[in-house]
Amino acid sequence: MSSCPWLPADRTLLFDEIPCSIVVVDRSYTIVDRNPAFAAIWGDGLGATCHELTRGRPGPCSGCPAEKTFRDGERRVLAQNGRDRHGKPVHTLVHVAPVHDAGGSVSHVAIMSTDLTVTRRLQEEYQTLFEQVPCFVAVVDRDLRVVKANRLFRRVFGEPDGERCYALFKHRQEKCDDCPAERTFGDGGTHTSRHVGVSRAGEETHYLVSTAALQPGDDGPTHVIEMALDLTDLTRLEREKLEAERLAAVGQTVAGLAHGVKNMLTGLEGGMYVTSTGLKRGDPKRTSQGWEMLERNIGRISSLVKSLLAFSRGEGPRPSRFDPGEVVREIHDLFCQSAARHGVELRVDAGAAPVGPVVMDRDGLRSCLENLVSNALDACLVSGPAPCVIDMRLLERDGTVTFEVADSGCGMDYDVKQKVFTSFFSTKGAGGTGLGLLLTRKFVQQHGGTITFDSTPGRGTTFRLSFPRQRLPELPPEGGPGATDPECGSSRRQ
Amino acid sequence: MAQPPVRPRVLIIDDEQDVVTYLESVLNDNGFEATGTTDGAEGLALARRLRPDLICLDVVMPPPTGVRVYRDLRGDPALAAIPVVMVTGVQKEFKGFIHHRKLVRPPDAYVSKPFDVAELLATLRRLLPAAASA
Repeated sequence: MSSCPWLPADRTLLFDEIPCSIVVVDRSYTIVDRNPAFAAIWGDGLGATCHELTRGRPGPCSGCPAEKTFRDGERRVLAQNGRDRHGKPVHTLVHVAPVHDAGGSVSHVAIMSTDLTVTRRLQEEYQTLFEQVPCFVAVVDRDLRVVKANRLFRRVFGEPDGERCYALFKHRQEKCDDCPAERTFGDGGTHTSRHVGVSRAGEETHYLVSTAALQPGDDGPTHVIEMALDLTDLTRLEREKLEAERLAAVGQTVAGLAHGVKNMLTGLEGGMYVTSTGLKRGDPKRTSQGWEMLERNIGRISSLVKSLLAFSRGEGPRPSRFDPGEVVREIHDLFCQSAARHGVELRVDAGAAPVGPVVMDRDGLRSCLENLVSNALDACLVSGPAPCVIDMRLLERDGTVTFEVADSGCGMDYDVKQKVFTSFFSTKGAGGTGLGLLLTRKFVQQHGGTITFDSTPGRGTTFRLSFPRQRLPELPPEGGPGATDPECGSSRRQ
Repeated sequence: MAQPPVRPRVLIIDDEQDVVTYLESVLNDNGFEATGTTDGAEGLALARRLRPDLICLDVVMPPPTGVRVYRDLRGDPALAAIPVVMVTGVQKEFKGFIHHRKLVRPPDAYVSKPFDVAELLATLRRLLPAAASA
């Protein structure tokens, strides 16, 4: 502990323990006392002059604050840059105070230095981050005026000059409806939202804004930092990709439709040819064959048009409450005989636990399962002479009702898997419209569910329709369209 | 006594049964001997067995597709010389595809669906001069 003649005894502890360095010099700038914090930076130093010790100078520094205080007896505060005894840069905040002798003259000066080196380094790092970060950064006050903005912000939106953020970002006269900064001022939390702005050059900009509180006060934050990530290029690429996908889908749809229609037209022309030549020759067998061709192709056109209408109409599901196991059994009964004729075993696995009633479009579900079983049957027929099995399963796990149709048929290769949900894609040639799985997917999406499949060439395919119960549609009001008689479990819409 | 003219044999491969029936009827009525199938693999087998004078081949079919069948026909030395007429609804796309594959000789002719009977017959007669007088 120091024994400072100029300090009351009860303050020497403070002198020794205070977390800043204190040195006391006499009028010759000789160090007559210093606290441990000073010694830790500069070494013992007693008896040396402060300019020799801290600057390596033989004489007093130019503009020495101690010299000024000796002269005028005033206190002063100033920032100083120097180097420590190891030559490392040191940034300090210096307080210079006079120490008076008994006669009231300034006999010594106390120099108290707070080391700001770490703070300064953090400030510089923060400043670099603030300026160089590749997003728009602005600090706004409670009035939403930009008090500070980074380089990217200034380059795109101009100097803030106290303008409000919505005027700079969007050229608006009023604040935005979904202002995340205002929400942060309100609750001190972090908020994020997507915005569209206008650059200084008048170009549309897209950005994701996150706001965070700065300088929290008793009444909430005094300032908020807005960090906006520029999504303009990404948004443009997203739009281009969507447009390309839309055009590709339109092109694919038109090409698929044209191909299907051409085949049907050819079939119709063939029917006309065979019928008319049969009539001319008085050949009833040939006439009948041609007539059947006409009927078949008219039926196909009718089926295609109906499927197209079903796919394109915006009509939503018509829900009713029913037993899903009943629908599964109906589909089994519908297909089991034709499957058996082709040597395919169609089985129903009701699962360990019964699945309770569901609220869905019953007819739609029936069509989907019909479509999946029909596809499975076709896959079995293509797979060759080996015995083939189709399993229909109904199960519920964690509130999700799942319908599975698994076949041990031919399976799908990579190319077919990629096109499964593509309009007018069919592996069945004339046998399919290429819309079945699209309609199934539409049904599943309308019921908040998902459709997935696993398939291995030569080993089979499993399709799964999964419906979380909490996302199923609501039952319509009693007596409304599609309302159901709970006693019989069937829809009134027939 | 004069021998009846030899009817050129035409094999039709198209997954649409009605198209096969139509083509068989038209060709059999116009001096050809036509046989058809709706299955690409069976079509290849028939081509090897019957050695037809010409093949009418569809492009868009369930596997093996018309493209696959065409490549197999061209790849089989015993069948490579048989003229192939592509009867298709996607002529433009197929033409582009086949002409970019330098390893495969382009088909001898294309006929678009729905086809014009006179044009079809003219094409076949051009490729099979023996049928011209039929």
